[in-house]
Amino acid sequence: MRQDQTWGNRLFDIINHSVLFIVAIVCVLPFVYVLAVSFASPAEVAKGGLILWPKEWSLVSYQYIFSSDTLPRSLLVSIYITVVGTLINLAFTSLMAYPLSKPHLRGRNPILLGVLITMLFSGGMIPTYFVVNGLNLTNTLWSLMIPNAISAFNLIVLKNFFQQIPDGLEDSAKIDGCNDLGVLIRIVLPLSLPAMATFGLFYAVAHWNTFFNAILYINDNEKWPIQVLLREIVILAQSRVGDASFDEMDVQPLTIRMAVIVFATVPILLVYPFLQKHFAKGVMLGSVKG
Amino acid sequence: MKKRWMTTVMAMLAGMMVVTACGDKSGGSGVNGDGPYPLTLVVNQVGEIPDPNNPMEEKIREYTNTDLRIQWIPYSAYDEKVNVMVASNELPKLIKLNYTPTTISSLEADLFWDITTHLKNYPNLAAQPQAYYDNISVNGKVYGIPLFRDMGRAIVSYRKDWLDAAGLKEPVTLDDWYEIIRYSTEEDPDGNGKRDTYGMMLDKGYNQGTASTLTRLAVSQGAPNKWGIDEQGNFYPEFESEQFFEVMKLFRRLYEEKLINQDFAVVDSSELNKVYESGRANIRISGGNGQSLQTKLEKVVPEAVVDVSALQGPEGVRVPGESGNTGFLAIPKSTVKSEEELAKVLTFVDKLLDPEMVNVINKGIEGVHYEVEGDYTVTIDADKDAQEVKPYRDTFPQRGDLYNMEKKAKGTELFNKNKQIVYENENYIVPNPALTLKSNTYNERGGELEQIITDAQTKFIMGQIDEAGWKAEVERWRKSGGDQMAAEYKESYENQE
Repeated sequence: MRQDQTWGNRLFDIINHSVLFIVAIVCVLPFVYVLAVSFASPAEVAKGGLILWPKEWSLVSYQYIFSSDTLPRSLLVSIYITVVGTLINLAFTSLMAYPLSKPHLRGRNPILLGVLITMLFSGGMIPTYFVVNGLNLTNTLWSLMIPNAISAFNLIVLKNFFQQIPDGLEDSAKIDGCNDLGVLIRIVLPLSLPAMATFGLFYAVAHWNTFFNAILYINDNEKWPIQVLLREIVILAQSRVGDASFDEMDVQPLTIRMAVIVFATVPILLVYPFLQKHFAKGVMLGSVKG
Repeated sequence: MKKRWMTTVMAMLAGMMVVTACGDKSGGSGVNGDGPYPLTLVVNQVGEIPDPNNPMEEKIREYTNTDLRIQWIPYSAYDEKVNVMVASNELPKLIKLNYTPTTISSLEADLFWDITTHLKNYPNLAAQPQAYYDNISVNGKVYGIPLFRDMGRAIVSYRKDWLDAAGLKEPVTLDDWYEIIRYSTEEDPDGNGKRDTYGMMLDKGYNQGTASTLTRLAVSQGAPNKWGIDEQGNFYPEFESEQFFEVMKLFRRLYEEKLINQDFAVVDSSELNKVYESGRANIRISGGNGQSLQTKLEKVVPEAVVDVSALQGPEGVRVPGESGNTGFLAIPKSTVKSEEELAKVLTFVDKLLDPEMVNVINKGIEGVHYEVEGDYTVTIDADKDAQEVKPYRDTFPQRGDLYNMEKKAKGTELFNKNKQIVYENENYIVPNPALTLKSNTYNERGGELEQIITDAQTKFIMGQIDEAGWKAEVERWRKSGGDQMAAEYKESYENQE
């Protein structure tokens, strides 16, 4: 708060803060509700009403989750494809974006055009399946990491980011005896940490939410990521009513559904705070004497 | 520092590659010979996926002399996965299909065995009522064995303690329905001094699909099931029948007088279940068993008494007929190449309906999942049953205690009453004449056409349009393709005759 504030300014600040606060509450409340329900006892939830703070805490739903190894195992699968998959994504995206950021690369424009075309047209579900199947990737976790190793959109954005890095830096590294790969690894990538963190986050969230490809490419249920199970438990409860094999009154209790949501969402939420510090700007200040 | 970090990452990556490089090898042994016949089966997932070597599956393998391998696919993407399997020729020897337009076209393309003439060679398969096979037939040919379900599941469940207190009986006419609903909303049946109960609640699926409350109630009053056929043999939709409109008017009135939940157009059925299970709603038409409601309700309201009655109207019991299956098991020609092999697969399915297998599939293993008590069997642990037996009960052909079951499962009085009503419903079924008829308009734009009508019904009930407005919407539906659909059904019907 500065000292030289008029009333108008103050009023504006107050309104601003309260509006933003209300918006923040609206965003946070659903999460609080999900958390609270997952820790409440089923009987309390059955009585109805909105629960934002359980009367009695209960771990019944979480006991159910850990009662078999299915859900924990699928969580490990998800963590695995997220970590390894994101590393693959970042490695391949930067390895392709860096050469494309150099205007003297021969055939640069045709390659960029090719990348652009993949953004506009896709082969469709079944042809893509044939490719994955033809490469013998089906029923392996690679099928979830390799076919989408480079996102065309991220590639183009990253290429533009690399183009902003002053040439002087790279030239000086060259003079000091670095080859192209050395320049990329020692100079360009360290300067691009904010971009890497951003795309890493995009890729990681995309991997974490993998659902449809997993069902399509993976037959072995021990290799399913958590989203497949989450969907089976949560969505099914609502979509199968009217299906003849389904007792219309027989649905998983809300507490368990909410607990599974918490179980499947919290790990990826934990990634954000750790990447926060890399979003910092101004990494390149003072690196080039003008 | 930087350099060391990079090396670590690279080393980790390399390590990961080595770890995941071991692909899986599934062994496949010879098809001929006297060993167990290797049989692959694809079905949709039910609850937790059981361990393939659990005693249930071992017993089935042993009895049928097959090396059965089941692949479970999540329900949410089942049809897409099956399309991919068909396209890439990776089908198993036996696969569960749903009766959808896409499936029907692959049946017509002769990708699966037509088993119409084979059925008579298998005693158990031949013993099942023809109606079940008719409902999965395509152009009069049967391409699989249905996963049997009751055809008349609709049942009325209500709070007997509330009705008794008011001196009311189970509803027959629409006036009875109105009175029960009015009383339970306005007269504080739970006696807590607050107006916090509803006589009846609807969810957003109240007018859609087989579980449509509008259809079920209208049929009980004498309306056709989804489609009717008039004297000239022309098809007309249910919502043009007088009784159906009466039902719509009843709900319009209930909505106006705030006797049903005002958010019915958007509320989810699971939300609804919560209210019924917490004792704040009275009557509903559903396809479940009243006992499961009673069990859940007792935990919240110990004195609650649930009762069930058949869906009846002035002309007695009338129930909309459902398809009688939850898909069917079909045999692909690409994997089962010869008639001899087809016989092996059909023998396997036939054996599943032998008494011993009926017991295993429905109840599990004696001493583990159920015990025998005199003339009945009793489930030992409901959770264990749901986890270990239900997956098989839901995915193999079985008809519960209606076929080859030596001893019935012991249930509560309410459970048995419910079952008995559903069983007797089969005699009062009003079939949907268009169930197996072909209509290209329906395949291409069925959803869009249905949307016109379901939206209009909601608007009418909420009082946003009047009778003239409703008539205009029906007209719009006819112009947009409804007429065409009716004509196509008529043609398809005459071809079948």
